[in-house]
Amino acid sequence: MADVVFKNVHKKFGDFIAVEGLDLSIEEGEFVSLLGPSGCGKTTTLRMLAGLEFPSSGEISIGDRVVNDLPPGKRDIAMVFQSYALYPHMSVEKNIAYPLKKRGVPRSEQGPMIARVAEMLQLTPLLSRKPRQLSGGQQQRVALGRALVRDPKVFLLDEPLSNLDAKLRGIMRAELVELHQRLGRTMVYVTHDQLEAMTMSDRIAVMYDKKLQQFAPPQEVYREPANRFVAGFIGMPSMNLIDGDLSQEGDRWMFRSGSISVPVGPLVADARGGEACLGVRPENLLLGEGPTPAVVQLVERTGHENIVVVEIEGGLRMTGRVPASTDWKTGETIQMSIQSEAAHVFAAGPTGRRLNIASVAVRP
Amino acid sequence: MIRRVLFNLMAWAIVLAVAFPLFWMVVTSLKPQSELFRRPPTILPEVTTFEHYWRLLSETNFLTYFQNSVVLSVVTTVVVVSIATLGAYSIVRFKYWGRESLAFLVLFTYLLPSVVLIIPLYLMLVGLGLSNTIFSLVIAYTTFALPYALWLLRSFMAGIPEDLESAALVDGASRMGAFRDVILPQLLPGIISTALFTFILSWNEYLYALVLVNSDNTRPLTTGVMNMLISSFNVEWSLLMAASVMMSVPLIIVFAFLQSYLTRGFGAGGVKG
Repeated sequence: MADVVFKNVHKKFGDFIAVEGLDLSIEEGEFVSLLGPSGCGKTTTLRMLAGLEFPSSGEISIGDRVVNDLPPGKRDIAMVFQSYALYPHMSVEKNIAYPLKKRGVPRSEQGPMIARVAEMLQLTPLLSRKPRQLSGGQQQRVALGRALVRDPKVFLLDEPLSNLDAKLRGIMRAELVELHQRLGRTMVYVTHDQLEAMTMSDRIAVMYDKKLQQFAPPQEVYREPANRFVAGFIGMPSMNLIDGDLSQEGDRWMFRSGSISVPVGPLVADARGGEACLGVRPENLLLGEGPTPAVVQLVERTGHENIVVVEIEGGLRMTGRVPASTDWKTGETIQMSIQSEAAHVFAAGPTGRRLNIASVAVRP
Repeated sequence: MIRRVLFNLMAWAIVLAVAFPLFWMVVTSLKPQSELFRRPPTILPEVTTFEHYWRLLSETNFLTYFQNSVVLSVVTTVVVVSIATLGAYSIVRFKYWGRESLAFLVLFTYLLPSVVLIIPLYLMLVGLGLSNTIFSLVIAYTTFALPYALWLLRSFMAGIPEDLESAALVDGASRMGAFRDVILPQLLPGIISTALFTFILSWNEYLYALVLVNSDNTRPLTTGVMNMLISSFNVEWSLLMAASVMMSVPLIIVFAFLQSYLTRGFGAGGVKG
């Protein structure tokens, strides 16, 4: 059963449009990430779900209730803020107790509930401290504790890990996934970090320019990006996007750009020739073999592989990844080719839609 | 080295210049009448006496004035702080048309010299039947303390992260509940410094008190003491000094305890306002 549903939701602030025509249906118990660059509308979407902003039009429901006009406290949600938003003048214990107090849970029942959450998040020795006496990671746990203490229907998390250092972020990521599995509750997670979205989510909602671009499981978002924006946004290093021309030759389609000429397809039935964009993941750029000469511009050694930037005739730069054992130097000329069966084709424009039917070769 | 010595000398000269009148006030209030006008003057009193204080408390209206001043300043402070807190909350948190212009308009009224407003305000208060009451002074002081208080609290309020309030709302608090549980405790330093400014302003104000109130039962300390001890023919120096010392005591106590809040208030007003 769908747990959280956005139906054609629009949000405007004066003349500024923040979210446009959002349709999203999140299943019960699902972990969904709202992913996108800043200003894409993901935080506004989450705040509308929390009741901190109200949609200009459309309908939002949680469970089987339309919540459009319900205040945040009546929506049976809990939220973790990017800034943690711990009440500075209250001890850790009082912070965690606050949602219980506000919902009229008797004092005698509060104690065991707080103790349970504190135990789960290893906060027991810190209960009497004030938030400013805690480290960033500990504050993060308190914020989680305040959300968890009440067993709400939906958890909302607004970039909760972005203020932590890289190592702690990795640990907390794993803890959140484990927590989600243990609680089995619906979680909606806002982030601009694709690694977080890819590793934690059941499904990712990629947003850009106020609109939902794609809503699919992480693997699908990676393998079959719905449009050019998603293709370029997901993946590190990002996909090579080459502008060029698409033309039909006999019963097959060819993509041409400068010295590149690649057979592509099969394409969707309504595909037209003309301006288009070819997308090639770095792992599908075959370096060291093939017909096209390329000059090595940059070699980044990450340890287990090398990221190589090459330039071909006409000044086009592309990124490929090769095993760490390769030993090319900057300025060296090598051969390259594009693994055409793994290439993606998009219509022209920043969010040009995907034109090729999912390529069979890259399916698992 | 020389620059440092010079700098120190100058700093101490300023401290002395500021502190000496206060010192002289205390010393004079403790000297017997006979020693007051002696030449050369004695720095420290040869005989210490509290008779001026006693006379002031037992033979004059001093206590009535004192009580009036306390009532006046406390009520003004409560009124100003309450209105300014809610006003600052509205200006910072809610988005409505003309919000910024409103804030600047308020500041603009603060720029007007208060003397300009005396006559119109007096006529309005007479029209309301409030002439010669402590309440008329409360209203008058509110009109010029409120704009500053609003600006001061506005900058404190702007420093409180909006997420805190959002978190309280999500946790189940009503707007008023979130305001009371989360905003007010965070705003406390701002409220204290605003209250101090308002209290000091009402305590020391002279001009409006002189114009708006002229019966002995309603006079505050400033005009009461002047009226009682200074006439065209004579100044009761020893009583005046004793009265001044007693007038300063509440402020000194308040300052001693809350000084850090006051300086924080200056900072907030200066940087963000």
